[in-house]
Amino acid sequence: MNLANLDRRIVYLLVFLALSIPLVQRYSVRPARMESAEKLYRIVQELDSEKKGVAFVALDFGPNTKAENQAQAEVVIEHLMRKRVPVVLFSLYALAEPFLKLVPERVASRLMKEHPGEKWVYGQDWVNLGYRPGASLLIQSIPKSDDLDELFKKDVRGNDLKDLPATRHFKSLKDIVFLAEFTGLVGVFQNYVQFFRSKDYVPKFGHGCTSITIPEAYIYMDSGQLNGLLEGIAGAAWYSELLMRDNPEREIDSSALINTGLGVAHLILIALIVFGNVMGFLERKKS
Amino acid sequence: MTVINYGDSWQLATVLVGGIATLAIFSFLIKENPVYRIFEHLFIGIAAGFGIVFSIQRFLWPNIMVPLLGLDIDVYPDGTLSHSYNYWLLLYILPMVFGLLFYFLYSKRFGWLAKVVIGFQLGASGGLAFKGFFNEMIPQLEKSFKPLVVFSNGEVNYWQSFEHILFVFTLLSVMYYFFFSFKRESRLAQGFAGSGRWLMMICFGAFFGSTVMARMALLVERLQFLIDDWSPALKYLFGA
Repeated sequence: MNLANLDRRIVYLLVFLALSIPLVQRYSVRPARMESAEKLYRIVQELDSEKKGVAFVALDFGPNTKAENQAQAEVVIEHLMRKRVPVVLFSLYALAEPFLKLVPERVASRLMKEHPGEKWVYGQDWVNLGYRPGASLLIQSIPKSDDLDELFKKDVRGNDLKDLPATRHFKSLKDIVFLAEFTGLVGVFQNYVQFFRSKDYVPKFGHGCTSITIPEAYIYMDSGQLNGLLEGIAGAAWYSELLMRDNPEREIDSSALINTGLGVAHLILIALIVFGNVMGFLERKKS
Repeated sequence: MTVINYGDSWQLATVLVGGIATLAIFSFLIKENPVYRIFEHLFIGIAAGFGIVFSIQRFLWPNIMVPLLGLDIDVYPDGTLSHSYNYWLLLYILPMVFGLLFYFLYSKRFGWLAKVVIGFQLGASGGLAFKGFFNEMIPQLEKSFKPLVVFSNGEVNYWQSFEHILFVFTLLSVMYYFFFSFKRESRLAQGFAGSGRWLMMICFGAFFGSTVMARMALLVERLQFLIDDWSPALKYLFGA
């Protein structure tokens, strides 16, 4: 067998094994420290639940990037719910609709399992505004509005926002103490950077991006337009680790498991790249 | 991992179909085949249909059509109304009709009407982009002016100073590489532009590496679904 012309299907098989073995064996290693994720954690940690205001969480992702974005959204929403900061969820992306329902419900049920005496309920701890079309036009209308209850009117369940405890005082941009946005889509995140602000107020902004857009997202971290960042699944895994440190009773989630599988797969890919180059070099030398 | 309620046959069917669809798409890794093609087209069709239905169901119907048609007005048993019809809502018809002119794109005779809509759209998008550009870029431009020597606690912070020097050098050399207004004759100019090119290569390498990472993350999520959700559902179906 000529190793220089290794069948690509063998490479696929190796990657498949590297990724699936940690999942089957439930084996995970401690994730690497991510500074940007830590910044985001500190921002959420410093939010004061006693103060009036909500966290605005945009889940602008669909099934195509749920691998990374869902894990990120879950850890941040969990942190907000632990802090009892009301979460208002919405999306500019139609395919995100199932996640707007699924993610907070999963987090709430996990928290109630962990704390049997406590309750996290819809309307008080989170509100789902659903998918809203309009993209940048909608985002621009948020800072201009002095009655956000009136702008969004109803949640997905048909409740009047004025009747829900979480959104009763949802009036202007200043009532949004924290903005988190999770996406893998090109150009969506920029809508928030450009327009989710008024002349005298910009809420703290955290972003969860897919691995592809990490280099681009660093620009916004460097300029201060972003206050915290979750870099792909690695960011979610480190955020999860920080939650575990502060809440030792918390059950481990799948982000560390996925992160371990990814690490192994990367090592295999690096080994294959080195191997391919060495073989190519030797072949050329021979000929 | 989804907690599957096996008593709910709809949820069970969703998981089973999800697994079959995943494997059908993965079959492309072996070679191009008709099963892959079918599922690829299914996905595109579903995604497009989903978006249209959601726009109508969640926005157009409740926010525009219901108030416009007066369907939100309740008639009480004594014949009185919950609220009177707001005739200003009829103004909604104007942008709706204007938007519908887009479909004249298919007409040779009235195609010019569609161009009016497209022109309006281009103008509005351009204006928005212009405004957004300043909000986005000005803070980045400001932050690109970094001190080359950084002091912390009265002492030189060598690491941060090095970071800033590297940043400024990269910024200038890459910009210089794309400066084609005059010929670069001196070796210094060529070397400076060349280093910009090399630094861009490093950046593209980082982009490529993170692309690979993202693709792997997609794969691992599907594997997790197959291992944790789909295979137990299959076992349940066949009574194993």
